[in-house]
Amino acid sequence: MWESIFSRLYRPASKICLVGVVQAICILFVFKYWNFASGMLPTAANLQMHWKSAFLPLGISFFTFEFIHFAIDVYKGKIEGSDFWDYFAFILFFPTMVAGPIKRFQDFGPKLRQPSTDWVTDVHRGLTRILAGLAKKLAVASLMTALTKNLNIQAIATAPRWALLLWIFAYGIQIYFDFSAYSDIAIGSARLMGIAVPENFSWPYLQKNITLFWQHWHMSLSKWLTDYVYIPLGGSRVKPPRILSNLMITMLVSGLWHGAGWNFVVWGAWHGACLCIHRLFRTFRTAPEVPGTFGNVVSWMVTFSAVTLGWAFFCMDINTALFFFKKLAIG
Amino acid sequence: MKQQTTGNIGELVLERSKHWLEYIGGARDLPPSPAAQLPSWFWGVWWALLITVACVFSGQASKFIYIDF
Repeated sequence: MWESIFSRLYRPASKICLVGVVQAICILFVFKYWNFASGMLPTAANLQMHWKSAFLPLGISFFTFEFIHFAIDVYKGKIEGSDFWDYFAFILFFPTMVAGPIKRFQDFGPKLRQPSTDWVTDVHRGLTRILAGLAKKLAVASLMTALTKNLNIQAIATAPRWALLLWIFAYGIQIYFDFSAYSDIAIGSARLMGIAVPENFSWPYLQKNITLFWQHWHMSLSKWLTDYVYIPLGGSRVKPPRILSNLMITMLVSGLWHGAGWNFVVWGAWHGACLCIHRLFRTFRTAPEVPGTFGNVVSWMVTFSAVTLGWAFFCMDINTALFFFKKLAIG
Repeated sequence: MKQQTTGNIGELVLERSKHWLEYIGGARDLPPSPAAQLPSWFWGVWWALLITVACVFSGQASKFIYIDF
């Protein structure tokens, strides 16, 4: 409610928009990163600063990014004359409020004003999408828990290498089916109301390089990070070393957005490094532009392996993940 | 040349398979060729199958991973 009221003060090129951005980031910081940041202080200060009863408001990471998008786009003049109730509906739109897809007001507003009238198609497609999402979550993602529950230090210590590979592969399958199932249910629910929201996944595990992977995995977040972090930093229009640092900063923000922990920072750095390596490879390669079947298979395998191994930092704390790689490398 | 043709056929089969899966998963409104619209009885069977799968596997599910973010 406060965000809806405060957003009425936003005007193109007005500093109030920037206040809105800072306000959203501060609220996210307090709820999500306070204890993570205070944990970096010396012990005595940490004990004083630690928030014992800290809690994370449901969906805060997602709706904060929508707040920031709105403030910046009004500042840039990309959104004009938004209505209080339209914005209120935008931020409280229940199918996407908890875990995305991260919407854009320019796309959502017109659909809210004029939802689809082809209700037969909308209900048919919406219900099919919801049922498919439920089946993906319950029959595949949850079933993988039998394997992924072993990703802890005790089980890793006694497991053979093949089991470690199987478990981390299972986690890759689990997180894809889990999150894409959630997105299916969210998109299907919105469709039942005649509103199309952005897609989040498009066969990410079939992509042949890491750049394509990020263009097909959690697409609404990737697009947000591109528009509000990567491009403002200079994107690809700067000198090569700056491009690499922009990629790395963007992926570090992505990692930190996913969770307040060093493992998420390292996960972001892992993907940042992969994107940088791919960028350098594209710059210096001498092979033909369109690879043959063998080249495609090798590219896919390298991409899939990099993404799958990277999940180790996503699903385990930093010490467990490092122990996992040590066991995998030297047994 | 032969490898290129095999690759193209493979790509085509993959694209059509993806399109079909997206169609029966509700992500697309139309099948790869509009003439291949599936009959109503198919959707009845498909929905019943999905509901059965959801019911059979329900009760052992954990919460959605991204809910924590």
